Amino acid sequence: MLAAFRRRYERLLEWIAIVLMAALAVEVTAGVVFRYSGYSLVWYDEVATILLAWVTFYGSALAVLKHGHMGVPEIVRMFPARLRVAATVVAQLCTVAFYALLAWTGYAVLEILASDTLVSLPAVSVAYAQSVIPVSAVLIIVAQVLVFPEVLDEARRGRIEKAEELI
Amino acid sequence: MTGALVLLCVIVLVLINVPIAVSLGIAAVVAMLATQGTAALPNVPLTLYQGATSFPLIAIPLFILAGAIMNTSGISQKLMDFCTALLGWMKGALAQVNVVTSMFFAEISGSAVADIAATGPIIIPAMKARGYPGPFTAAVTSSTASLAIIIPPSIPMILYAVMAGASVVQLFVAGVVPGLLAGFTMMGLCHWYAVRKGWPVEEVFQWGKLWRAFKDSAWALLLPIIILGGIFGGIVTATEGAALAVLAALFVGGVIYRDLSWARLQQAIIEGTVQTGSVMLLVAASALLGLYLTEAQLPQTIAQTMISLTSEKWAVLAILNVFFLVIGMFLHSAAAIILVVPIVMPAVTAVGIDPVHFGVIVTLNLAIGQQTPPVASVLMLTCSIAKESVWDVTRANIPFIVVLVATLLLVTYVPVTTLGLVELFYR
Repeated sequence: MLAAFRRRYERLLEWIAIVLMAALAVEVTAGVVFRYSGYSLVWYDEVATILLAWVTFYGSALAVLKHGHMGVPEIVRMFPARLRVAATVVAQLCTVAFYALLAWTGYAVLEILASDTLVSLPAVSVAYAQSVIPVSAVLIIVAQVLVFPEVLDEARRGRIEKAEELI
Repeated sequence: MTGALVLLCVIVLVLINVPIAVSLGIAAVVAMLATQGTAALPNVPLTLYQGATSFPLIAIPLFILAGAIMNTSGISQKLMDFCTALLGWMKGALAQVNVVTSMFFAEISGSAVADIAATGPIIIPAMKARGYPGPFTAAVTSSTASLAIIIPPSIPMILYAVMAGASVVQLFVAGVVPGLLAGFTMMGLCHWYAVRKGWPVEEVFQWGKLWRAFKDSAWALLLPIIILGGIFGGIVTATEGAALAVLAALFVGGVIYRDLSWARLQQAIIEGTVQTGSVMLLVAASALLGLYLTEAQLPQTIAQTMISLTSEKWAVLAILNVFFLVIGMFLHSAAAIILVVPIVMPAVTAVGIDPVHFGVIVTLNLAIGQQTPPVASVLMLTCSIAKESVWDVTRANIPFIVVLVATLLLVTYVPVTTLGLVELFYR
């Protein structure tokens, strides 16, 4: 039941990732093509940076499910079993608390931002762009909860994974 | 007082394995609450968002994506075939092919891990089958892969450029000579081993064969010219060059070599997004902590302390080199750049070190860091592909690490090796 939900949730986040990443690549390419054909898109830079922020935060939610966030598990691995589990629980609680704060403050500032608009697209409110913060924070908390059993199991067995490097 | 609290907060959280990005975020929130109270909290989401919206950083997901697509598109096999036709006559030919393929791949990808993932699974079994010792095979594959972050394009250089406020294009140009120099020295080292140990030649050199291999791999060989030519020629920005790289990878993999399927493409995009999310969240979180650091003038204080110790450029460079080498052993390269560069930058500029020069120094340090355990991402990945023990490979890797360290010293104390081309074309 939980495993099935986790799979579906992961698939959902994967599709969000595919759509956003494709949009980013297409948008930047289109920006170049339009510039060289003499019709520069005024909104090109601004929309591209918004897409980057969206890829970043929605990608972060997916990265939680894929154990992709950089950390330093080496010290905790050396702890005795009980301490390992305790440290892991504290670490998970800290992480969830941070994202909960982010979801709350991120939602609160949307009201303040509602009247601001994008510089290059005056018809679009900044709140749409910034909605990524509270929305992704909630998605990340759900992902953290879903991976918690796996993380706890790893801690019990002393086989805490380290995220692989990317570059 | 708050400074100590913030530092303690980061260290404790990182050590209990809270993700580094989240650790920075929590420390920043603690600092904000301690200095400004709850009124400052709305700055948390605003700054985090701002931190992830920088135009030059868009190149990072795009280069990661391009690398992931190229991995699945058959480009590495074509490159390797061409290199074999070119260098097959040499003693220890496959070792030379390994180095040169990595150098070619470095010109289209900005990541050492992408380089390993693309070439490792093909060249490592091939070398082992021809009787090369496993640890040497893994060592040469691993250390030449790190050339990918020195030879442009380079994701760590993009990160550095944004953190230090330097020009991405100038950094790319500055990486050319050191990257090629290290690559050619590694070729020399392989040749020395090959002659001493009598490693085999692969095939006799034939112009006809080389021409056929060239025709087969022409598209793959064209990629660096399109990407780097566009960026260096000022036709496109580095970010747009990255988009071009994605497009070119899709075209060559999907249309020319027809090795790219929708399932593989999906997988490539998903991998690219996960990696982007992880690196960029760290960038955003460091912007959040940066709010506090700027207000507390911490980087400036560090700069003053350092200058009060010594204002000699060479000594400051030596201290920073040792510092980055140690950091590189324990942190991933992206994390090291994001955490350290903003803090040491005022000291670097105060003693008159060119930011572009320093960028190449940092990148070289991190290339060495990718090879030195305990945290040595590229080495570990290679060992797992080669199924060799980390210890054996590290021992075999020492001569290659020495080459990288020698390049680092040369770059550090003879700045013209990096800045020569930059001065010539851009200043």
